[in-house]
Parts: sequence; C-alpha cells; structure tokens
Amino acid sequence: MTNQSSIPVLEAWRALLAATIDAVMVIDHAGRIELFNGAAETLFGYRADELLGKNVSVLMPDPDRSSHDRYMQSYMTTGEKHIIGIGREVLARRKDGTIFPVHLAIGEIAGDGPRRFVGQLHDITSRRRALDELQRERDMARRYLEIAQVALMVLDAENRIVMMNRKGCEILRRNESDVIGANWLALAVPPAEQAAVAAVFDTLRHQGGKNADEQYHEYQIVDSDGTLRLVAWRGVSMQAGITSNGTLLLSGDDITDKRLAEDSARRTTDRMNEVSRLASLGEMAGGIAHEINQPLTAITNYAQASYRMLSATSPDLVDIRDALQEISSQALRAGEIIRRLRNLIRKQETQQEYAAISSVIADVIGFISNDAKLNEVTLKLNCHTDLPLLLIDKVQIQQVLFNLLRNAVEAVMVNPPKERLVEIRCELDAEWVLVRVLDNGPGVAPEFMPRMFTPLQTTKSNGTGLGLATSHSIAEAHQGSLRYVPGVGSGACFELRLPIPDGLAE
Amino acid sequence: MNTHQPTVYVVDDDDAVRKSLRFLFKSLALTADCYATAQDFLAHYRPEQPGCLVLDVRMPGMSGLELQQELNLRGAMLPVIFITGHGDIPMAVEAMQHGAFDFLQKPFRDQDLLDRVQRALAKDEENRKAHRDVEQMRRHFAELTPREREVLQLLMAGKSNKVMAADLGLSQRTVEIHRARVMEKTGAHSIAQLVRMALDAHDDGATPPA
Repeated sequence: MTNQSSIPVLEAWRALLAATIDAVMVIDHAGRIELFNGAAETLFGYRADELLGKNVSVLMPDPDRSSHDRYMQSYMTTGEKHIIGIGREVLARRKDGTIFPVHLAIGEIAGDGPRRFVGQLHDITSRRRALDELQRERDMARRYLEIAQVALMVLDAENRIVMMNRKGCEILRRNESDVIGANWLALAVPPAEQAAVAAVFDTLRHQGGKNADEQYHEYQIVDSDGTLRLVAWRGVSMQAGITSNGTLLLSGDDITDKRLAEDSARRTTDRMNEVSRLASLGEMAGGIAHEINQPLTAITNYAQASYRMLSATSPDLVDIRDALQEISSQALRAGEIIRRLRNLIRKQETQQEYAAISSVIADVIGFISNDAKLNEVTLKLNCHTDLPLLLIDKVQIQQVLFNLLRNAVEAVMVNPPKERLVEIRCELDAEWVLVRVLDNGPGVAPEFMPRMFTPLQTTKSNGTGLGLATSHSIAEAHQGSLRYVPGVGSGACFELRLPIPDGLAE
Repeated sequence: MNTHQPTVYVVDDDDAVRKSLRFLFKSLALTADCYATAQDFLAHYRPEQPGCLVLDVRMPGMSGLELQQELNLRGAMLPVIFITGHGDIPMAVEAMQHGAFDFLQKPFRDQDLLDRVQRALAKDEENRKAHRDVEQMRRHFAELTPREREVLQLLMAGKSNKVMAADLGLSQRTVEIHRARVMEKTGAHSIAQLVRMALDAHDDGATPPA
C-alpha cells in the first residue's frame, strides 16, 4: 500500500463516518473527545466543535458519568476488558439532559502513541420500547391467567403439564412447582377415567378440536386430599409450529358446586311436581272412586234381587236372565273405570311412548265428565282425525289436560247453567299438534298473566298454585309449550303444543 | 195408581243404578216409581200418595239435597233415604239436619235398603195418620160456637166454672152446659186431653182455625 493509495482510503473512512446512522466517536487515553460524527451530533444534540477536547463523560448520566474516568484507569492498569470488544446496553445523555438507551461498542485503536478508543453507539430506544411492551403484555397475560376463574393448563404431547395457572393449582390443591412436569393423567385423573380422558386428548390432537363437541368434556379430577371435583373442560390442540405439535391447551371449570345446586333445584322441582301430581291424582282418583260405585251398586242390586227371586217358588227366569246380562255389562263398565285408574297410578317415572292424543283426551274427559255433568258444564270436543302419534308420557299429558279442563270447568261456574261451555280443540300445525282448551268464563286477569305459570301463585281460594306451573314444566319436558292465548273465544284459552316425532310429520 | 198401596220413589241420574233399583224393588214386591232427575220427579209427585223416596245425592241440575229442601218447602212429609256414591260426611250431616230419614252408601245390601224402606214407609204411614188426626181435631174445633170458644179459652187458662161465669156474665149452670158441649164436640175425655188436643190442632181457642 502506498501513500497515494492511503489518501483515498482515508477519504472513504470519512465518507463512511458521515453516512453511518450510528453515532461514532473517538476519545484519547484521558477520555477526551477527538472525533464526533454527524450521526452523533444528531443523536446527542451537540455540535462536534462543542465537544472536541471535552471529557466523554458529559454524554453519560450518573453513575457512569462520575465513574467513567475510573473505568478507563482500571482498564489501562489491569487490562481487564469489561466492555471493549463485548458491547453492552448503557444509558446516554443528550445535551438537553434527556436520557436514552443505546447499545455501545468500543474498540481500541492500535498504534504506538497514547492509547485511543473508538466508540459506536446505536440508539435502542424503539427496540427497548418494543421489548418493554412485550414484557408488559407477558405480565398482563400472566395476570389474566392468575385471575382467571377457570383452570388453564397446557399439556405436552406426552400429557405432561407445561403450564398451570393459579386457579388450576387451587382446584388441585397443589403448588405450581409440584404440578409442572407431572403427568396429568397420573396426577389428577381417577384411574377409572384415565383411559377415557386419554382418548379425549387423542381425539383433540388428531381432530384439532374443530367442533364444540370435541372441545367439551366433563370428568372428575382428584385433588391432593383425594377429594373428587367435577370439572367441565374445553380443549384445543396447538397446531402452530413443529415444537408445539401435540400440545393441548385446556381450560377447566369446577362445576361441582354448581352441579350440586342444579341437582338440588331439580329435586325441589321434582318434589313440587310430585306434590302437584298427587294432588291432581287425588282429584282424578276421587272422581273415579265415585264413578266406580255406580256399576258396583247396579251389580249388587241385580245379584241380590236375582238371588231373592230364585228363592221364590216360581222364579221368573226371563227377569233373572236380563239381570245377569245387566250384571256382566256393568262389570265391564267397572273394569273400564279401573283400567283408567290403573293407567293413572301405574307410572311413577317419566315413560314416553307413542300414543294418540285423541285417546289421551278421551281418558281425561272420562275423569272430568262427571264433574262437568254435575255442574251443568257442556264439554265440546273438536278433534282433527288423522293426527300423527306423539311420543309422550301419557299420564303427564293427562295431568296437564286435566288441570286445564278442571280450571276451565271452575271458571265457567260464574255463568248461569246452560251457558257454561268448555271446548277442547285439537289440530295439526306444521310439526306440532295443538290442543287448545277454551272456555266462556271471565278469562285470566291481565295483572295475573305474568305470574300464571309461577309455582304457588293462584287466584283460587283452595288452589295449590301448582297446577299450571307443573303443566308448564311438563310441556317443556316434552319439548313442547304451554301458553295462554288471550283473545281467542270469549273466555280463557290455553294452548298446549306438542312436537310430532321425527319421521311422523307429514 | 192405588192410593192405599205405598210407592217407593227412586231418583238417580245413573241409568244402570236406577234400573237395578227398580228390579230390586220388584223382587221385594214393592212398586218403584223411578225418575232420572229431580225435576222429573217433582212433575209427577202427588203429595197424597203414601210412600218414601230413595234419592241420589249427586245429580246434575237439582241435586238430591236441593230436592229435599224443595220438598220441605212444599210441606211434603215423604221420608227421604239418601244414597250416595262416596261417603261424604258433611253432605250426610246436612241431609240429616234437614230431616232425612236415613243415609246409605253405595253399594248397599238389599236387606239394609229393604229395612230402611219398610221403616220409612211405616214412618210415612204414621205421619199420615198423625196428620189425619190433627186434621180431624181441627175440624172438630172448627165446629165450636163463639161462646163455646170463649169457654175453651178460659178452660185452657185454668179458670174455674165460677170465675168463668163471672167473666162471661153467665150463670154457672150455663157455663157447665157450654163446657159439656166443648168436651162432646172435641171428643175429649178430660181437661188435660182437651188442652193437648187444642195444642196439637194449633188452636188456643182465641182465633178460629183457618
């Protein structure tokens, strides 16, 4: 290399110094600034001529500012490099006093004279901001995890616990350090359920939990005390990236208490329905008991009279034959009444079967007709023929219709006899069978309408307030509905809707 | 219909029960007049016909209890035997309070019904005889002259012949004659019997019977 060629090289370095976006400066052995490039001027807010010959510590905030001379002295005596050739993040100070983070790289300039150093500073304010932001997000995410009221858990491909939030640990009654790395199935799933849960996880891994059915599963887990908790889980497979292959993210809601409350509420409702069922059963049975005495009375009378006649010297056999015929037909009548009674009390549990609504209605009319007749209420039945069979609990639907009819019969009692009309209409409406019970009584008062299906609400002095409430829940248990339809006819109109089973609709 | 032969009336809305009762009474050699409704019975009932009524409590329209009250209002003496399908105690009590003769629960033994019917018919006969006696007494009391009625009134007040003679301004002898006429017309054998007869006939002598 010649002198001539060294000049252009120097020129090239100058150009590079001017063009670089990083601040570059040179200091001598005493820390005095010898060179301060344009980028440095922009970064620090100083002009080069303001700084040349000044100690570089002016560009630093404390504590580096007051210690910098000592750093240099230490290096030059011991030769131990703390920053040279390594680089580190430090804080720098602008002329206006603002402080900002920079990445600082320092090199020593080789030569015979006194030692000199070159420094390159890269402004990392924006990078630092991004990192801080990221950190904040991480902290936030961690806090979300911590305050979440559901257990959150990440399992690796071998079902080992990678992450578990505070709630998860609480449900398990274990420390986070005890659960991380443990096999989830062995740790918390009762042996009897392990195979099933493993199968659920496999499905999630292979299908990815694309639909809600795959995502949702309930099973019991065992906490550290051996107590079983019922947890509703939702899981998804983490498909992104090779490393997370087979990783599952699961959230679990401890529904033990909720389920207990639901069970208790259901038991209460069941009990209420039972009370109501027994109440209407009692009424229905009372009607039947009265009714059955009629044929029994006739049978007894015929039998006793025949016996008496046969004891006479010349009995009238024609009369006795007629009596025997009457006896058998009255016995059949009694049998029919007993069949209805047996149907009524046979089933304690819900038992759905295919049944014709017309036969259910006929049975209920049988229960109520005596009452209606005694109270001079005209019962009118208007039933479409060719209605499809329904899948129903016959006794329950009988109970609903009996309640509606009994209410209707009671409602029309305010009318004079001969003007007491109760009508049952039964028709098809798309995929529904509608049974409407209409009367010409006073109807339901508007202020009572919102409460009419509420348990223990009644307008009758001797009512239980259970009839309509129970009927309503029976209708819903049949995927049907029971509602009050104002404005149909002159009095009340209740509409029971029952779904036609699949495949039976037209 | 023979007025001297008692009739068992039956009112029950249940056809089978009604027909079987008719058959039962036939086997007992009793005539039964059967009706499906209370109204129907009232339309055909003749008060002068002796008998008794076998009546169902629960019926559409006029109930058994309502029919009983209607008969009471009309002053009918017909003994009523209620029959009911279920042992409704309050209903039975109400019926008995209103003078029901008896109460039977369906179904019943024929002998029980027969016993009650026979006792009811005997009671009816007794009632009718008592009624006839009272009617006869009333007729007898109605035959008294105004002066004799005055004597009767004072007799019932426990006055002696002497006091009566003074009160009426008559001689004791005349009072004695009036008094003998009263005893003769009413058929009373003593003052005590006369007083009882006058009470039975609802006649205190003050006002002439209607």
